[in-house]
Amino acid sequence: MPSSSKQVGLKLKRFIFCMLLPTFAIILVLTYYPTIEGTILAFKDYSVFNFQNIHFVGFDNFKTIFEDPEFAIAAWNTIWWIAFSVTLQLLLGFALALLMRKPFKGRGLYAGIVFYPWALSGFAIGILWSWLLNGQFGLINDILIKMHILNHGINFLANPKYAFISVIAVNVWYGIPFFAIMILAALQSIPDSLYESAEIDGAGSIMKFFHITIPYIKPTLVSTVLLRIIWVMNFPDIIYGMTRGGPAGTTNILATYMINIVYFESDYSKASAVGLVIISALTLYTLFYLRLTSSYEMGEL
Amino acid sequence: MRKKHVLAKSLRFFFLSLYLLAAVVPLFWIFITSVKPSTEVYTYPLIYWPRHFTFENYKFLFLFANFLQYFKNSLFVSVVSSLIAMVFATLSGYVMARYKFKFKGTLIVFLFFAQMIPAYLIMIPLFKMFSDLGLINNLWGLMIVYVNIAVSFSTIMARGFFSRIPRSLEEAALMDGCSRVGAIFRITIPLSLPGLAAIFSFSFVNTWNELFTAALFLSSNSKMTVPVALYSFISKAGIQWNVMSAGLIVALLPTILVFAIAQRYIIAGLTQGAVKE
Repeated sequence: MPSSSKQVGLKLKRFIFCMLLPTFAIILVLTYYPTIEGTILAFKDYSVFNFQNIHFVGFDNFKTIFEDPEFAIAAWNTIWWIAFSVTLQLLLGFALALLMRKPFKGRGLYAGIVFYPWALSGFAIGILWSWLLNGQFGLINDILIKMHILNHGINFLANPKYAFISVIAVNVWYGIPFFAIMILAALQSIPDSLYESAEIDGAGSIMKFFHITIPYIKPTLVSTVLLRIIWVMNFPDIIYGMTRGGPAGTTNILATYMINIVYFESDYSKASAVGLVIISALTLYTLFYLRLTSSYEMGEL
Repeated sequence: MRKKHVLAKSLRFFFLSLYLLAAVVPLFWIFITSVKPSTEVYTYPLIYWPRHFTFENYKFLFLFANFLQYFKNSLFVSVVSSLIAMVFATLSGYVMARYKFKFKGTLIVFLFFAQMIPAYLIMIPLFKMFSDLGLINNLWGLMIVYVNIAVSFSTIMARGFFSRIPRSLEEAALMDGCSRVGAIFRITIPLSLPGLAAIFSFSFVNTWNELFTAALFLSSNSKMTVPVALYSFISKAGIQWNVMSAGLIVALLPTILVFAIAQRYIIAGLTQGAVKE
């Protein structure tokens, strides 16, 4: 008997291994190996002009990027990009979720319509908005002029002063539904009895909001914000559709800065050096995030 | 008290309508632009409603700009890669939901990190690897990259769905004489169909929208996917915005359709993890 149960154990082990193999093999070969390879490339001289004799060049690539003033702009922009985008997405998404909390006629349809942007291609959305923000024939300018806010059209995306505000505004527009979806789901999981008993105790709307709503959905708020920060940091799509980092690098974040090096300079090692800076920031942030949340929650995300 | 109630209600209605406008108008404006002749696009004051509806821009797109080919390419890479990722994720997600084994925690962290590494960050080493294998400018090569993009999050989602299906149902089937695999196919898979639909839609949307790897990998015109085609449009000087708008509508339509059908399941899949029961 013991030998046969051992056999069952072995069979089960083999079964588990075979089931896991395709997924983890592909992740290992196509995500983890390239991540390591990318790290090594950052210290080499691989470019479209040098395919054959790739050498180690030490920290040369890092020297090049740290001396590039556009890198510093991109690094600062990344911080502002994350801070403004996520804060405004959260606040407006929260507001929308609160407005949608109580049922009304056609709420399902309403949700279906207003939630649509979050799944659309960020790149296509970026192009779309660059047409709406067009200086001569753009709808936004026309509306602002008709409302007497502007006298004449502004070429939003060609003007460094407005371009960065514009890409952030579009990113906020794009990200509101995601927050609204997550927060609305959390709001709907609050038992009505909590509010009812608070009302009996004479609590007003503001009291209820701060003493029931906020504490109850706090885990959702924290985990959504923390994950969204990573996501927004790695979201070059909208900027790429609108400005590709221009004019003169003023709307670059690190992600678009790196992609531009790949596409326009074809200096793959220099781009890998930027990539390594991004991955380091990402790793530090993720470790911080993991410390904040339990591994159980993480598995469920 | 009653007056206050009416005021609150109308304020709520006002803001909900305002947001509805903000959400809908941009897409609507692109649609309007796409059915205008160029004479009505480049004119001031703006024409809000086209005087001559035309499908010329779409015709131009499909007949002259080779968009049918790009559309087919995109459809091929996204559908095939999402299906493969879904099958892989079903296998591994199921095991990870049902069995305890060594290193399971490590594998979960593995998935979590993999899902966090965005495609653009690893496209250079992948480009090097795939050029060594001769898989550059090849839709099958891109398809393989897309399986990788989709599989980690799909597995995380699949594990979530499977762990919410009670084990006792499968055990009952086993008692009734089903084989283990039979129980999975007769009980677990049918019950998780909504979950699988969500996984597929999610991967489809992500791969359909992917630009950066595709733009690096695909060099010949006949291989381009829709996002790469849009990219080549905006890179050229002097875009025709009516044609561009038609291209955007074509690029966005499949994901809008998928979401119209599967939004309920996708949202359930997304929020279940975040909301504690």
